[in-house]
Amino acid sequence: MIPLIILALAAFLFLLFLLFQVWSRYSYPGEGTPGPQLTTIDLDAFENLTDPEEEGYLRLQLSPAAFRKAQRLRIRAAKLYVATLSRNAGMMVAVGQSVRRHPEAEIAASGQELMQRAIQLKVWCMLSSVRLNVAFLFPGLLSPSNAIASRYLTVKYMAASLSSKLAA
Amino acid sequence: MNFAHFTLMYLWVAPHVLLVAVALLMWFRKLHREFPIFFSYLLFEILLFGVLFTMYFLGIRDLRYVRADMAGQMGSIAFRFAILQELFEAPLANNMPLRRALARTLNWTAISLVVLSAGFIGSIYYSILNPRIFPQYVIIEALNTAQCGLLMLVFYWHGFLGLRMSPFVFGIALGMGMVAGFEPIRQALNDAVGNQHFRAVAIAQMVIYHVVVILWLYYAQVREKGTDDSKIAVPQLLKEAAELRRITSL
Repeated sequence: MIPLIILALAAFLFLLFLLFQVWSRYSYPGEGTPGPQLTTIDLDAFENLTDPEEEGYLRLQLSPAAFRKAQRLRIRAAKLYVATLSRNAGMMVAVGQSVRRHPEAEIAASGQELMQRAIQLKVWCMLSSVRLNVAFLFPGLLSPSNAIASRYLTVKYMAASLSSKLAA
Repeated sequence: MNFAHFTLMYLWVAPHVLLVAVALLMWFRKLHREFPIFFSYLLFEILLFGVLFTMYFLGIRDLRYVRADMAGQMGSIAFRFAILQELFEAPLANNMPLRRALARTLNWTAISLVVLSAGFIGSIYYSILNPRIFPQYVIIEALNTAQCGLLMLVFYWHGFLGLRMSPFVFGIALGMGMVAGFEPIRQALNDAVGNQHFRAVAIAQMVIYHVVVILWLYYAQVREKGTDDSKIAVPQLLKEAAELRRITSL
């Protein structure tokens, strides 16, 4: 009987999870609740943190132990940047999603394109975050990648173009 | 025909008639192009019902009926896994590289979940189930449990991407979750209440399926909230544009 209760309880919790999804879909934030805001990101600083040349220079100048310590600090900072990039990408996904139903076909297409690029960026952020975590564990073996910065720039320019079209 | 028999017949026939309405609505709203697997699943369920209903009325209620029913159930389970993949891929549109990568990840996740669920359920039922029905029982339960796990991932995947699920995707996921989530409860109830109340449990399951089909019908006709509502669209879009300009100008 106990095993059955465990399974039934698990199923019941799953149904509660579904109920929570319904609740969160149909509950609206209050009037005064501020919406999420995009955060400005210093991409130069991020690229500097993940620059392979800079890393090579530090590797040459510091002892292995000091290099690992410095590299971990750099990776920790880079992780914060990636988390912010990911948050911004998520907001641009939401913007693209709401704009893709715009009555003007050109704006709607731009919204769809922005949404797709921002989704890709979001996935890249996730992969980049995994890589950074591994690099944090083994700073001497794996270097963080800064390829994500150029992808973010692409999405940012698309967002800028879309915002101009919307404001026009 | 007594009331209990009428209720059973209604609960068997009505959801499938409503499934025809869902399929037609999908066709007219061109949703079948966006969700071809779910559309095929609806057609499969309607066809399966047609075959089983005909067999029932022709008096074919022997092993052939049971086999057709089992084959139908296996087909439904396979379809549901394919639908889950469709739900995962729904936000990716024509992004083929990402779709392929996601499909591969999803296949491995599904296999892992089935194996884990089978291990868990097998260990639970090992001592209490008849060895003759043990393998089938564990497989079906494991597949249902894995589907519940994958459905949770569908919700988290959309949340992670920052996407609001389209109404139809939400409806499909909710409906499938209710069907898959009730299955272990049904098994537990069957074992708890015994054979004399087997029919009551079956009715509860049919009622849930009926509710699920009504949900699908509702969500098939709901349109995605976007900028088509001109009263809220313009200020909302201008606000978004201002926010985008603020971030991109820096």
